[in-house]
Amino acid sequence: MAGVKFVSASRVYAKDAPPAVDALDLDVKDGEFMVLVGPSGSGKTTALRMLAGLEPLDGGRVEIGEKDVTFVPPKDRDIAMVFQNYALYPSKTVAENMGFALKMQGVHKDERARRVREAARLLDLDEKLLDRKPKALSGGQRQRVAMGRAIVREPRVFLMDEPLSNLDAKLRVQTRSQIAELQRRLGITTVYVTHDQVEAMTMGHRVAVLAGGHLQQCDTPRQLYDNPVNQFVAGFIGSPSMNLQTVPLTESGARIAGTVIPLPTAVRTAASQAGLREIVLGIRPEHLHLADGRGDLAGDVMLVEELGADALLHVRLAESGNLIVARTEGRKPPPPGQQVTFRVQPDDVFAFHPETGARLAG
Amino acid sequence: MTAVPVRDREPAALRLRRMTGQVGWGVLAWVVGIAFFLPVLWMVLTAFKPESAAQTWPPKFVFTPTLAQFRLVFSGWGPYVTHSLIATTVSTVLVLALAVPAAYALSVHPVPRWRDGLFFFISTKMLPIVAAIGPLYVLALHAHLLDSIWVLIILYTAMNLPLAIWMIRSFMLEVPKEMLEAAELDGAGRVREMTEVIMPVISPGLVSTALICVIFAWNELFLALNLTVTNAATLPMFLISSVPQEGLYLAHLSAAATVASIPVILVGWIAQRSLVRGLSMGAIK
Amino acid sequence: MTVIEDLAPPPTAEVRPRRASRRERWQLRLPLLPALVYTIVVTQIPFLVTLWYSFQSYFWNTPAPAHFNGLSNYKTVFTNPAFRGALVRSVVMTATAVIVAMVLGVFFAVLLDRKFLGRSIVRTLIITPFLIMPVAAALVWAGPMLDPNFGLVNWLLQPFGVHHVAWLSTHALGSVILVMIWQWTPFMTLIVLAGLQSQPADTLEAAKVDGAGAWATFGELTLPHLRPYIELGVLLGSIYLVNVFDAVKAMTQGGPGTATTNLPYYLYQQVNNAFDIGGAAATGVVTVILTIIVATFALRMFARVFQFEEA
Repeated sequence: MAGVKFVSASRVYAKDAPPAVDALDLDVKDGEFMVLVGPSGSGKTTALRMLAGLEPLDGGRVEIGEKDVTFVPPKDRDIAMVFQNYALYPSKTVAENMGFALKMQGVHKDERARRVREAARLLDLDEKLLDRKPKALSGGQRQRVAMGRAIVREPRVFLMDEPLSNLDAKLRVQTRSQIAELQRRLGITTVYVTHDQVEAMTMGHRVAVLAGGHLQQCDTPRQLYDNPVNQFVAGFIGSPSMNLQTVPLTESGARIAGTVIPLPTAVRTAASQAGLREIVLGIRPEHLHLADGRGDLAGDVMLVEELGADALLHVRLAESGNLIVARTEGRKPPPPGQQVTFRVQPDDVFAFHPETGARLAG
Repeated sequence: MTAVPVRDREPAALRLRRMTGQVGWGVLAWVVGIAFFLPVLWMVLTAFKPESAAQTWPPKFVFTPTLAQFRLVFSGWGPYVTHSLIATTVSTVLVLALAVPAAYALSVHPVPRWRDGLFFFISTKMLPIVAAIGPLYVLALHAHLLDSIWVLIILYTAMNLPLAIWMIRSFMLEVPKEMLEAAELDGAGRVREMTEVIMPVISPGLVSTALICVIFAWNELFLALNLTVTNAATLPMFLISSVPQEGLYLAHLSAAATVASIPVILVGWIAQRSLVRGLSMGAIK
Repeated sequence: MTVIEDLAPPPTAEVRPRRASRRERWQLRLPLLPALVYTIVVTQIPFLVTLWYSFQSYFWNTPAPAHFNGLSNYKTVFTNPAFRGALVRSVVMTATAVIVAMVLGVFFAVLLDRKFLGRSIVRTLIITPFLIMPVAAALVWAGPMLDPNFGLVNWLLQPFGVHHVAWLSTHALGSVILVMIWQWTPFMTLIVLAGLQSQPADTLEAAKVDGAGAWATFGELTLPHLRPYIELGVLLGSIYLVNVFDAVKAMTQGGPGTATTNLPYYLYQQVNNAFDIGGAAATGVVTVILTIIVATFALRMFARVFQFEEA
């Protein structure tokens, strides 16, 4: 059981290229489920591999359990990893796959078999599968074998590299909760990489959002959602994503779609201090409330996506002509072509610097 | 940010192990490579020696090089190399002409029981042609083909055909199915499908196949030795005859060996991957 | 997502595949016929003729015409120690060469699988022996390399106490096998290298994380992965090597005595020295039958090994 720390960890591939991971500072507490999330190329997988010892560091250090492991080979870090494509040993049976690390450690055959069976039970893996080779298994079964191989080790840290990305949607949802449940049960520190923000939000105790090798924000899912620290995080977390519009500033607030939304003093001060004439205004789809013609923001409905319980309205705003998305009740959404108005609570609105993307007075 | 770059924090023991490992590996590989290549080096070196310098003890590494041996080879090899060229190119063209349709019939639109066909061809390769050499000689004699370039062309074609079929088939199997289906939808018949879809895609494969056939035909000795004398004698026979019963001509035979091997060496150096593919009958891509 | 209302009835599901008409079946077969006919004519007819002559007494150097002599040629084949000797020698030469070449091939492939300075050059160096014309290679080994008085090998081995060994006399079989190995190791190397490079990188990383050192990874993961490649190499190598003739002819002419006479050379001798067409034919038939037996196993193995290509 141990915590994990990235201290200014960097990885550079080519001399003049930007770093794949740029001075990452991240502190994962003992027993925590930390998700690294971000688009492809954000450095999340590289960071994981640095933690595993599969990538060398070009700057900073990595600690496991308070000890500097930057130069410790993977096998001595007491970690177990689940790979994106599972990386099962094709010439070995499922049982041999799961027991391989123990065999390398010199654990006795019977003890190995016991622990393998236990892990199989934990993962709901049929005993009959233990003697099969990976190519005879389905995708979901292989995924569980990969997990089992990690669990059997009883390591200090679990590393998972997008383990769900090769599963079909339904299986993904199912397995997602199983993994979260498993981690809760075993209490082992887990660092989990994914590009799917839904996975990140539902599974992690805390989520670290990365982009371009930089850590954007590391917080609980709730905090990320309610208090994004910059435009990237705001637009990345939440589905459908937050509406972000560049709008001009006025005396009291921001002007959008024929109305002015009042902004808090702190925001206005920060904006004028930065000498801004415009800001990026962020409003989440569920914060745009249909107002029966009595609202402030006006627009025309272009497209309606019916999801059953809700409906998503794609609305062309008056004045600017930009498209935004609003979430509304599913029963009787306004049809395409209809003119609608929305009401917004000033508290539900975010303001970002148009160039740096930083949140103004967050 | 910590000021000490990562490299300098690497524990000395680890760095030492890492560096010696890397360097040691390279050194070992180079030593092995050069040792293995040594006979070739020696062959080429000896080719530039006058005979007197080739028959010394200890063997000479420093000497005044001469082109005399090569001149000797070039003056003597005329008919031999011509026969080799003819037999090689004509048989290779024939092989391709026969193999392409056959491979087509065994891959893109397979005949029923195509597997049997394939294995029939491979079985002819496994059966040693050497076993039939006596009767082959008699047959060739009765057909007035003895010591004629045609007997070699005919037999080389048969020798290379199975290999070519397997190889070309493996290339045809790589043509994306969607391409063929699109052509079919566009109304292409069998011939058009072949000329406009398949051939362009497999043309590099055809070149590799041709190269492999050339290599085998060029190097072939047994059939040439037994079925030809002078009118169709090929380069390998020229080499064998450059080992006279009396006297040692090490430099001369080195020159002949070098010259004879150059075409295949060039081909092999340039087309390494095709070489593997051809020799493994298309199993290894 | 728009849905187009289709008012036409849906097409009939899954038309039952009808048997291709006779014409269509022949259209499919036509392209195969030239190659098939050619091969049958050129390879099978000689074998049929061989079979015919195997039952004849036919000597090329006598004026007597060929006449039927039943199974006496075959009796000679089976009782003649020369044939048995040639057979044994063929097996020994082929097996030794294939095994050693494969072991070396694995070693070289492992060497070439890691990046180092000048890797592609070393790779080219290693495959060149294979590209030398076999007759030429044999002659170079016989002369400039192994000559008792002027050969390089004797000079290189001097520090080890070796003095002017006449390799082709005292170690004839070994010398010929050496040349076979020298020429065919590159082939094995390239095949095994292809196998090494096809190993998925993430399984090797998983092994690293699981605590497997270099040797353990090689033994537990790499070798099992290489198995089909090694089998292919051994199979194809055997097919090529069992027919080796050039080296024997150029280096030792089957000697000293019969020390290096393998089956191909033995057949050559029967035709060229003994002018015994009948005997050569019978030997040929027996060789073919033996080859068929071995080839049946080989073909089955071939099919299995090629599964991984189809997969």
